[in-house]
Amino acid sequence: MPDWKSLVRARIGRLPVDPARESDIVDELAQHVSDHHKDLVASGLADEEAIATALAPLAERAALEIARADRPRPVAPVPPANRAGIFTDVARDIRYAARMLARAPGFASIAIVTLALGIGANSAIFSVVNAVLLRPLPYADPDRLVMIGQRARDGAAGNVGYTTFLDWRDRARAFETMALLRSWQPTLIGRGEPERIAAMRVSWNFFRLLGVAPAIGRDFRSDEDAPASSRVVMLSDGIWHRRFGADPSIVGRVLTMNDQPYTVVGVMPASFEPLISEHFYQRADMWSPVGYDRSLPYACRSCQHLKAIGRVSRSVTLEAARADMDRVQTTLRRQFPSEYAPGVMTIVPLQEELTGRVRPILRVLTGAVVCVLLIACANVANLLLARMARREHDLALRAALGAGRGRLIRQLLIESGLLAGLGGGLGILLAIVALPLLARLAPTAVSRLAAAHVDARVLGFSAILTLATALAFGLLPALRASRTALDRSLHVDGRKTARAPTSIARRLLVTADIALAVVLLIGAGLMIKSVGRLLGVDPGFDPSHVLTMQISLVGKAYAEDAAVIVKTDEMIARLRALPGVEAAAMAGQIPLGDNGDMWGFHVQGRIAGPDDPSVERYSVTPDYFSAMRIPLRRGRLFTSADRAGAQEVLVVSDETARALWPHENPIGQHVRIGDATKGPWRTVVGIVGGVRHQALAAPPTMQMYLPQAQVTDSFLTVVIRSSVDPTSLAADARRAIWTVAGDVPVYNVRTLADLVARSAAPRTFVMILLEVFGGIALLMTAIGVYGVISYSVAERTREIGIRAALGATSRDIVRLIVGSGVPVVSAGLCAGLLAAFVTAGYLEASLYGVRAHDPATFGTSAVVLFVVSLTAQAVPIARALRIAPTDALRQE
Amino acid sequence: MSDDRELRKGSAEVLILALLEQRDRHGYEIAKLIDQRSGGTLKFHVASLYPTLYRLERRGLIQGRWVEKPGTRRRRFYRITAEGQKTLDAQRRSWSAFFAALNRVARIRHA
Repeated sequence: MPDWKSLVRARIGRLPVDPARESDIVDELAQHVSDHHKDLVASGLADEEAIATALAPLAERAALEIARADRPRPVAPVPPANRAGIFTDVARDIRYAARMLARAPGFASIAIVTLALGIGANSAIFSVVNAVLLRPLPYADPDRLVMIGQRARDGAAGNVGYTTFLDWRDRARAFETMALLRSWQPTLIGRGEPERIAAMRVSWNFFRLLGVAPAIGRDFRSDEDAPASSRVVMLSDGIWHRRFGADPSIVGRVLTMNDQPYTVVGVMPASFEPLISEHFYQRADMWSPVGYDRSLPYACRSCQHLKAIGRVSRSVTLEAARADMDRVQTTLRRQFPSEYAPGVMTIVPLQEELTGRVRPILRVLTGAVVCVLLIACANVANLLLARMARREHDLALRAALGAGRGRLIRQLLIESGLLAGLGGGLGILLAIVALPLLARLAPTAVSRLAAAHVDARVLGFSAILTLATALAFGLLPALRASRTALDRSLHVDGRKTARAPTSIARRLLVTADIALAVVLLIGAGLMIKSVGRLLGVDPGFDPSHVLTMQISLVGKAYAEDAAVIVKTDEMIARLRALPGVEAAAMAGQIPLGDNGDMWGFHVQGRIAGPDDPSVERYSVTPDYFSAMRIPLRRGRLFTSADRAGAQEVLVVSDETARALWPHENPIGQHVRIGDATKGPWRTVVGIVGGVRHQALAAPPTMQMYLPQAQVTDSFLTVVIRSSVDPTSLAADARRAIWTVAGDVPVYNVRTLADLVARSAAPRTFVMILLEVFGGIALLMTAIGVYGVISYSVAERTREIGIRAALGATSRDIVRLIVGSGVPVVSAGLCAGLLAAFVTAGYLEASLYGVRAHDPATFGTSAVVLFVVSLTAQAVPIARALRIAPTDALRQE
Repeated sequence: MSDDRELRKGSAEVLILALLEQRDRHGYEIAKLIDQRSGGTLKFHVASLYPTLYRLERRGLIQGRWVEKPGTRRRRFYRITAEGQKTLDAQRRSWSAFFAALNRVARIRHA
């Protein structure tokens, strides 16, 4: 006895009526068919024939008619302008959509996770863009704030001398106010360890110019910006809490810094962001007035160690301000021709100055996440198309029951919207989780990135993105499926009408997947290569096993150079005695340490004044070269005999030797440094290998070394080479220094290897993110290819079965399946390579040592994708090979 | 062809109502009786009969109920309602008039 109910169900499919009623109908039909079968058998028909005859009238078409007849009421059109009606309708659609998704958990979860990755990546990067680029600077009228200076080589505003600045301020008409700033690192002594403070010297009106005011106390007064009265400080909220326990009576307290008394006049609010100091120097914790006057030796016109910031007057354009400054500077140059080099003035909007360096990075990342989202959309659209094919029946029923095309599209879009909404929600969670990781990964140069968070604007962006995404992946399947449904409700044999175009659409989507993935992979590949090349650069020294820390010997006790030398010699001796230490030295600055100290370099016999080159200067103790492993090329290194009073000597880098003495022996040559007109003649005694000073990516510069005993620096970097893990030495080294001098602050304790890594950090950041996005893209593409090929295998089961029956070998079948995938994959690869070729230029600024159109990277990426998409076909191919001819026939 | 279908559809209701006028019957019985009594000229199969039954039920002309007898599967029996009886009478009259007219015009003999 056949199971009639199942047979009936199999013929008519699911009816769109409530389940109890459906079960009744199936029961009744089954009873009828069973009775009929019994009669047919009684009349002499064979059992199988009787079954077939009894069931024959139950085509899918029957389900339509039954359901239509059984509907309690004919479909009433929604009353127009009845909002509540539409609301309940939409609510019903949403409930229905939720049920449909719950019934297909596999599909739903893949789609939601795919969308979450796409939307999450976009939300995270948008949060960064929002924090770094879009959020206005936290100052009053930030659009009118500009940096002013002579145009430097990199387009930025150069430094300015004090006297020059005064003339600018007095003569320029386009500005409301101008202020000066420079870095300052006082040593704070008092309760606790001596501390080197990151601080700034600023004009008295600096905070007024920014439009910010202290939270406690008062702002600087104009009379405090003078040599005699400038010993006042403003504290940051951070240091006020950290160092002074948020003491409310801090105002008026006298701090001892560099052996001088400074009176606290105020504390800035917690909301004040010291972006300018962070950008140019370090995040400042204290401010004090510049306190210059024209009489000071370092206040001269060409003493360019100050930066100028200005507030452009209302209704004055940037061009007008620039023209105004050009006019002022031209007059000054005419008045003091020996003081100024020719060149145009530049006015850089503060926002641009602060964000200029990260713009290209963010542009690349934005492009990458858009690619990821597009891939996600293409994949989900693909999944939906496959699913729609399976739901044709259901949709046809709804169409038959009077749902118009618009109604069907709405239903399907609501389903897409629900998917996108869930994906978007999950994506925002992903972004919230990812942002702190991103901030930790980011190079310090990206100011305000740490402040990136999901705020209302990000939420709004994500919501719009989610909606757009739902439309992007939902519209095509909805249009297609609704048309199919109507076709099918009108023609019994609607089965084949929309198959072929759907298949083409799906293949196009996978082609797009592959193309976008190629672009991302190539981007990631180029960055991997760049970072590899960059980290492969020989910095000129050996960064492994070296600990560095900074100290400053300032104050009355160190006013004499001799005192500094005595103390540092003793410190070096103690450091040298620590177990595991191979060499210890001190230097005024070290490479990749964010410092620069270019001095004029005047060779005896050919002095040309301002046209003589500037050379990077390092004052070092004798063991510096062995601690850094900077190789000696010719001559000798320093010894302890190169002391004050002895013959003044220097060592130059081979770059300097090559540039200045291309045809002579530099050893024995005499040089004056700094001022060309006075000071001792120093003798070149050795040539050493050059180092990468500014950055790994920057070409080697000219360098010179002076004995610290002869040209004594007070701000020093301690360099310790060890045979053990250098970080394990930090505590002992600090103690050794404090044993010698308890008032010396020790800060910026880092390994040399860290400094090297930090120099590659911006590129490493882009590389890691592109790797992540590329990986996601690859995975999604594999899923996409897998989906399309396995669908096509399922669709062609009958064909494959017949081929197998007719004697096709496994190889033929593999060829058949792979053959159907190859056009998709190769079209995707070609489109991707082309797109990458066109867009690779955006990455140019982040590349190092590799061209944007590097053929090897293009080729490798294409091969990787090709292999991945072949691998993705393995499972469907295996399935195809298992198809037996009988399966194929049973399917009909 | 389609004329034939329309004609059958229109006549289906009156056939079913007429059969139920005598006593309550289930679907298969109705189909079988129509087949037998029309000598095989009129045939209802499962896919055409039930939509008609459900439509009649929806319009309140007949009423279905499940009847379970021990040892057999439950069956759905349909009974004609008062409304159904009224409709049947009206339909009988109009079909009579229709056939009389046909006869007069086309000389089709009405049994």
